[in-house]
Amino acid sequence: MRHILTACACLALGAAAADARPVSYEGGWTTIAQSDRTMSSLWVHYTPRYDYSIGWRTEWDRSDDLLFNGPQATWLARRWFGEDYQGNLYAFAGAGWAEGVSDNTRGLRGAGYVGAMADWETRRWFVSWMGRVSDMGEGGHAMQSGRVGVAPYIAGFGELHTWLMVEVDHHPQEDTPVAVTPLVRFFKGPMLLELGYTPAVNEALFTFMYRF
Amino acid sequence: MIRMLIAAIAALSLAPAALADERAYATPELAAGVEEGGTLVTADILGMVCDFCAVAMTRTFGRRAEVSAVHIDLDDKTLQLVVREGHELTDATITDLVRRSGYQLTGEIRRGDAA
Repeated sequence: MRHILTACACLALGAAAADARPVSYEGGWTTIAQSDRTMSSLWVHYTPRYDYSIGWRTEWDRSDDLLFNGPQATWLARRWFGEDYQGNLYAFAGAGWAEGVSDNTRGLRGAGYVGAMADWETRRWFVSWMGRVSDMGEGGHAMQSGRVGVAPYIAGFGELHTWLMVEVDHHPQEDTPVAVTPLVRFFKGPMLLELGYTPAVNEALFTFMYRF
Repeated sequence: MIRMLIAAIAALSLAPAALADERAYATPELAAGVEEGGTLVTADILGMVCDFCAVAMTRTFGRRAEVSAVHIDLDDKTLQLVVREGHELTDATITDLVRRSGYQLTGEIRRGDAA
């Protein structure tokens, strides 16, 4: 049981806070390419109903040289609406297979993860958290990350929006378990771009998201 | 001199009307839709704080045959659309489409002069 909980926690932490808006509008497709200090991923999802999405995730864990492929489902568990704010709580799970790449000669094994995400935002402030526990065939891993952000100016609909954010992530199994990443987020229309840098490990953060 | 005064008075008297027309519609697309006989509809939306997410509503309403123009105002937190002449988009349908976009309506849906 303890291992399962640990694995769940690890999986929950693996999906980064950058996976903003993991559920789109009904009939909407979203493509998300992301790279941070530990992994690079490509995720494409479709939203059949406003409260869940299904998609395919390819994720390269660069620390362990493991490549995961599999479907992911995300459920919007709760959305809070206010005149000037919105909050969301999501749960997600993915299952598939993982294999070694580069120097890792390990073969294919079953893999999976579960996690949760929460965010709250106004037009000025943004706070989010995500946690994931995963088992890529080598035991449980857990991770979590949190973000705070502020918009230096309030942009109107269709204009270029800019956010200054700081992400703190916790990967207990990494040599540097906790790292801080300042980043800038831009979005305009259906496109979102994030650029950041993690000084502790000299790695860049990159996210590109497009909604169809 | 008198002609100039008359011209100036005429220009001043027309200015408020011109300004009123300009304020009536947030975008040329809305204005064109109404010009073609469509009905302007305005709805107040809760939780519309994210431009990236509000795109969902322009996509959801924009693909409806009954709708000729859609506009989101993040400052007023409103959805504005023009329903084509001869078409109908009921309050229940608008409420459902807003929900499918991931949002929630608040207050009454206003149409025509009230919008």
